[in-house]
Amino acid sequence: MRKSIYYSLLISAMMSVSVAEETRQVDKHEHGVGVLNIATEGSSINFEFMIPGADIVGFEYKAKSDSDIAIVNAALTKFGQFENIFTLPSSSNCTLVDSMIEVDQDDDHDDHDEHDEHDDHDEHDDHDEHDEEAHNEFVAHYSFNCGNVKEIDRIDFPYFNTFPNSGELEVQFVSGVGSTSFEVEGDKPFIDLKGKI
Amino acid sequence: MLLKLSFNSLYARLLTVGMTILAISVSLMLYMSVEKLRTSAYTSFTDTISQTDLIIGARASSVQLMLYSVFRIGNATNNITWESYQDILNKDEVDWAVPISLGDSHKGFRVMGTNRDFFTRYKYRGGQSIIVEKGYLFDDLYDVVLGAGVAEKLEYGIDSPLIVSHGLQSFSDHDDQPFRVSGILKKTGTPVDNTVIVSLAAIEAIHVDWSTGAKIPGLETPIEEIRKMDLTPKNITAALLGVKSKLTIFSLQRWINNYPEEAMTAILPGAALQELWRVVGVVENLLLGISVVVIFTTLIGMTAIMFSSLSERRREMAIWRAMGASPFTIVGLLMLEAIFISLLSIILSLVLLFISLSVLQPWIDYNYGILVNVEMLSINDAYVFALFIFASMLISLLPALRAYWFSINDGMTIKL
Repeated sequence: MRKSIYYSLLISAMMSVSVAEETRQVDKHEHGVGVLNIATEGSSINFEFMIPGADIVGFEYKAKSDSDIAIVNAALTKFGQFENIFTLPSSSNCTLVDSMIEVDQDDDHDDHDEHDEHDDHDEHDDHDEHDEEAHNEFVAHYSFNCGNVKEIDRIDFPYFNTFPNSGELEVQFVSGVGSTSFEVEGDKPFIDLKGKI
Repeated sequence: MLLKLSFNSLYARLLTVGMTILAISVSLMLYMSVEKLRTSAYTSFTDTISQTDLIIGARASSVQLMLYSVFRIGNATNNITWESYQDILNKDEVDWAVPISLGDSHKGFRVMGTNRDFFTRYKYRGGQSIIVEKGYLFDDLYDVVLGAGVAEKLEYGIDSPLIVSHGLQSFSDHDDQPFRVSGILKKTGTPVDNTVIVSLAAIEAIHVDWSTGAKIPGLETPIEEIRKMDLTPKNITAALLGVKSKLTIFSLQRWINNYPEEAMTAILPGAALQELWRVVGVVENLLLGISVVVIFTTLIGMTAIMFSSLSERRREMAIWRAMGASPFTIVGLLMLEAIFISLLSIILSLVLLFISLSVLQPWIDYNYGILVNVEMLSINDAYVFALFIFASMLISLLPALRAYWFSINDGMTIKL
């Protein structure tokens, strides 16, 4: 129900600016709630994580100190190994074919482009430009090709152990069977996909 | 031997035992019917829409958007413009889209404007299509297609005349532009049954004179003139959308949610249903909890009755002992009795459940659109029964031990 309050706040905020010439809208940013989208078709399965910085590194202020910068870099490195975030049943024979990891900011709309270099997650060394961010969001995409997608009947999330500050994950899942959603929390860190693929 | 004795003993106390069995079976039935309704409501709910990848509408919560677009519950916060709809339609990812326009009604039933694609694209219960039972889909501007429930409740047939009312609860009718029933759909068990379906152009046509928010009497545009007008809708309430590849759903959803020209929301119907069910689930767990408590209450009641019968059966016990029954036999006898009572109660509760559900099923379906599955007993029910028998056995140990104690102390002579 808290979510609907956010939505209504968003709507009223948008209605009040609707007379302005330019369109202003702001994505919701809720600490403690990460978003995960999972889509599967054929032998592919894709994961998209969008997680507020507070859930990952515990802060969203300007990371000026060396230690804070190091924390952000360490978090990105952890995302680099998907096994730190989630695991798939080994019988599904899935191999990672593509991934993209970045820190995205959404309070300053002008400079989204400068994050492109994170598409290649080999260059995790220079994230200095993120120091300016007030609201950061970790975005991670993973694409897999699987020998047997139907064997994926459960996905576990070591994510909650990897990042102790993490809150819940709101999962949207879609396959040929249809779509569904889950709310995953650290005390039950998995989703049951029996009959859903 | 023991079994027969036990049965005869129960038979001798037919009235008390009968009432106990009745009480237990009614409480078991309560539990089972809550469970049946719960699972049936969930399947009916999730079966309402399938094979639609996204639903789009004005910005709203996903549950709200799904409720008004699919279940016709509540209202849209806003409409979306035809231009935005066309923009979405032109996206590469989009395979098909069906626009929906809501807001008017006929005798309490929602009127939905759409195009003919709706009848081929809207799927329910794992991919079933809508079937036209009588007549044909709308051909003329003033044709309407009725859901099975509407036709049944209002007793309409093909060619029945029909006036659409403005808004959902209003006294102003679009009586200058009467409609005619061209087709009646086969029952689907979904909200389509309770919907009056017209073309988008018809929705536009009946609102030609309503540009100021109300109709000016005497100034109606003649129907002939309306027929010549361009009746492309200026806005729609929502749209159902199919994508070419499931893998692109989320990027399309994000694109629509961040569409700069207009505030819109795109939802995955299944995900939104699940979200709603998590809220409803609290209530259904509460119901389930209550019925479990009721079962326990009756179990305790059964024990109480066994206790009170013990004192009047002390003589009976003494005779058993005299005939060579050991104190353990007495314990076994009472436990056997409890098992017997619970087994009979289960059978009776099933009989009661099936009778009541068979009687109520058409009524529940008619009024709530929930198709209760009467036939199936789930594996879960079997577990519950096994657990119940075990619990009644366990709880009967109390009076059984007391009987054991009595029989040792009393022996064959009772001092009452």
